[in-house]
Amino acid sequence: MIWPAVDKHDRMSTTAAERMDRRGSNGKMSTDRYMLWIDGVGAWQLCVGAEFLIGGPTQEGPPADICLMANLSRRHASLLRIGEDWFIHPHNSSVVSGRAITGPTLLRSGDAICLAERVRLGFRIPSVLAGSALIDFESHHRPKHSVDGIILMTDSILLGPRKDHHISCPDWPEMVVIYTQNGVLRCRSKSPLSINGIAVRDSAVLSDGTIVSGDDFRFRIERLRAL
Amino acid sequence: MKFALAPESRPLEGYTIKRAIHRGAFGEVYYALTDAGKEVALKLLHNNTEVELRGVSQCMNLKHPNLVTIFDMRQDADKDHWIIMEYVGGKGLYEVLQENPAGLPLNEVFRWLHGMTAGLSFLHDRGLVHRDLKPANVFSDADLVKIGDVGLSKYISESRRSAQTQSVGTVYYMAPEVARGRYGREVDVYSLGVILYEMITGRVPFEGETTAEILMKHLTAEPDLSVLPEKLRPVLAAALEKDPDRRISDVDELERRFRKAIEDSGFELAKPTPVYVSKLSAQAAAAETASNGRFGLAAASEKDNKVGVVNSWLGYWNTRVPTPIKWVLCGAVLWMILRSGAFQPLTAGGLIGGMAYLVYRQFFMKRPPTVAPRAAVAANTFLSPETASSVAHQESAATRSTATQSPAPVIMNAPQRQMAAAPQARAATAVVYTPATMRQIPAGQRVTDVTTSLTISLAAAALVTTAVHMATDLLPNAADVAFFGTVTLLAAWALIVPAKLWEGRTGDAIVRRLILAGLGLGVGAIAAVLQQFLMLNDSQLLRVDGDGIFNHGTIGRMQMLEGGLPTMAGFMMFFGLLFLIRRWWWQADSFRKARFRISSSLVTLFLGVVLSAILPFSEQLGAIWALAISAVVQLSSGWTPQEDRLLTQAPGASQAGPVLAQVRHPVVVAVPAAAGHKA
Repeated sequence: MIWPAVDKHDRMSTTAAERMDRRGSNGKMSTDRYMLWIDGVGAWQLCVGAEFLIGGPTQEGPPADICLMANLSRRHASLLRIGEDWFIHPHNSSVVSGRAITGPTLLRSGDAICLAERVRLGFRIPSVLAGSALIDFESHHRPKHSVDGIILMTDSILLGPRKDHHISCPDWPEMVVIYTQNGVLRCRSKSPLSINGIAVRDSAVLSDGTIVSGDDFRFRIERLRAL
Repeated sequence: MKFALAPESRPLEGYTIKRAIHRGAFGEVYYALTDAGKEVALKLLHNNTEVELRGVSQCMNLKHPNLVTIFDMRQDADKDHWIIMEYVGGKGLYEVLQENPAGLPLNEVFRWLHGMTAGLSFLHDRGLVHRDLKPANVFSDADLVKIGDVGLSKYISESRRSAQTQSVGTVYYMAPEVARGRYGREVDVYSLGVILYEMITGRVPFEGETTAEILMKHLTAEPDLSVLPEKLRPVLAAALEKDPDRRISDVDELERRFRKAIEDSGFELAKPTPVYVSKLSAQAAAAETASNGRFGLAAASEKDNKVGVVNSWLGYWNTRVPTPIKWVLCGAVLWMILRSGAFQPLTAGGLIGGMAYLVYRQFFMKRPPTVAPRAAVAANTFLSPETASSVAHQESAATRSTATQSPAPVIMNAPQRQMAAAPQARAATAVVYTPATMRQIPAGQRVTDVTTSLTISLAAAALVTTAVHMATDLLPNAADVAFFGTVTLLAAWALIVPAKLWEGRTGDAIVRRLILAGLGLGVGAIAAVLQQFLMLNDSQLLRVDGDGIFNHGTIGRMQMLEGGLPTMAGFMMFFGLLFLIRRWWWQADSFRKARFRISSSLVTLFLGVVLSAILPFSEQLGAIWALAISAVVQLSSGWTPQEDRLLTQAPGASQAGPVLAQVRHPVVVAVPAAAGHKA
């Protein structure tokens, strides 16, 4: 049964909106930003937290969590994780999958985000195993340095040979999981891992500059500091 | 993949390696940042010789947008040479081909070809030959094609002759004369030809297990050109010619011939512009483009401004609730309303509200007339079905993707209501004549239609009643048969007559339904009287076992059931709802899909089942009755086969006006016997 009115993107329920307002008044929740440098695969920006600001380059003040070399305002839009869902909260002109949005809007995997008419980003949640999302660059706007994509990490991300892993590493023999535990970033894999050249069993803590290597792969995690 | 240098190592002063990019046939490539933050690619050369280094230094100052720029060459502490060059992000042609095993679209093929040609042409113009052109050396960064490894060619060709370090991937693209040590610019033409072949077909022309096998094929085997589009075969044949003297000598010439060949085969390389036929289809196309673009802003709609609880709720209902659950929920709500005894007040409220809305709609709301899909196209001068459909085809060229054959009447030209693109597109494209098609049927024709249908319905009703008598044990004696047959016939007449009067005309579906419902009430009343007259009080035909879902067979204060038989109110309710819910005039229209549609009958049968389950009415009888009426209506109403449905412009209608202008006032006549009977 189809009713005539359509609004593809559900507006947030009042409770969710309230929760967001409350969060706003308490100040922004902490966001950690990392770079993942993966040999033979690429570079990803990893954002850990539940609220990320997208903005353009700035002369003064701290840059946005996702700072793109693009004609965006300093605070253009925020991406928020509320419960199991991702929302985009526009502060400036934003379009989601062809629809101009004025308030917080639910994002679904496969949605296209268009900011300031020219900046096009893809939003997807590649894996059903984790709620972490991936931002792909569909226009040529990137952060200051070449980055293949931005990962919005909630609980865990998967790096491995399959297409539904957050970072697809075709030549890797086994999947590596990066996850947070008690606010600490850790990683584990079924295959043997070395952390900074020392073999570890089970899982290991990741900190700024940690080099993780395995039989046929290597990557380094680096904390991004606000410049 | 293991790489020699670890992240964060600084082989050269001022450069910090961040990650390894890949390992090529002749060295590792790293992504590095200078201390100031510039990103570069660092290539470590192994086993370098004087000759090779000279090759690189020759190319040090070449500047071309389609070539990867070399910034510098430096030596590290171990005396190894590093080439510092522009970092190119984005996908390489190698990866693109891996992702598209069946080949690339021609526009993409041409984009890559064009970039490679420009870069190679620049090199050739400066007396240089690349010599190692292959997909792994070609990149696309921000839609700009770039050729890498410029200047390293000599290095490769030296080692190639020693046949030590070659990987199979390189040999696929190697011209046959390279084996004899000849390196003219035809070598690059040949490699470009192989890449072109691979981009189009997804396969290289010469495959093999070993380097030697592939080299042998380059020297002796003929490429299989039959897999290519016909016009492209001579172009690729000339590019893949074994003898360099007979090969196309110039990459620009190859691009020119390639371009001409695909344009000759009717393919437009530039972005095809939509065919402009009418303002309507152009508008629809534009609107469609806007709404289909993933990123574009959808065509402005007044809905955007309507931010409200109702809309978001409806949005949720329409998109998130699965259809079966919708049915269950609707059923549950209906059942609760009926159970609670609130049926009567709700019905009364609904009737008053509905009437008020109808009055408002009729007198206060500006609304363009409802127009049939075909009217837009057929309102031209005389059109045979072929030309009509070809016109429709042209008009729909730009809007084909939204074409739908939905028979639902659509509202056209409603700028004041800011209709979305879809109905407009549909209006311009539908090729099927449906009962919603407006047509002018002369009064005489109409009268003939009605009388013929009524006459045939006598026979049809007799036939159907006999069938029911034979097939079921519902009608055991003559009185039952007479009762069933008469009421069926009456019901069919009550449906056919208005349907034939409405045929080809515009009209509000709700009004039509309400009129039919009124006629249904009448049929129910007559049925009740007839039941008394035929003294069917003892008949099993009408006997109701249960109470429906009502308490004691009443709806509100109305008695539906008395002594196990439906009262007059019961009959009236059954026929009224039966007539109200189905769109009966479609079943009687001569432009319906088929003379007798089983699906249509089954839906009616299902409706009968539902009605007799809700109302205190014999379930078997209710279902069979609904089916019988549907059958009689369909069998006796005139029907025009699809191919005979010709429409032409009526004399007197404006010939000069554009199609668009006539959409609001479609004046078309059904010819020759469109509304008549196909005997």
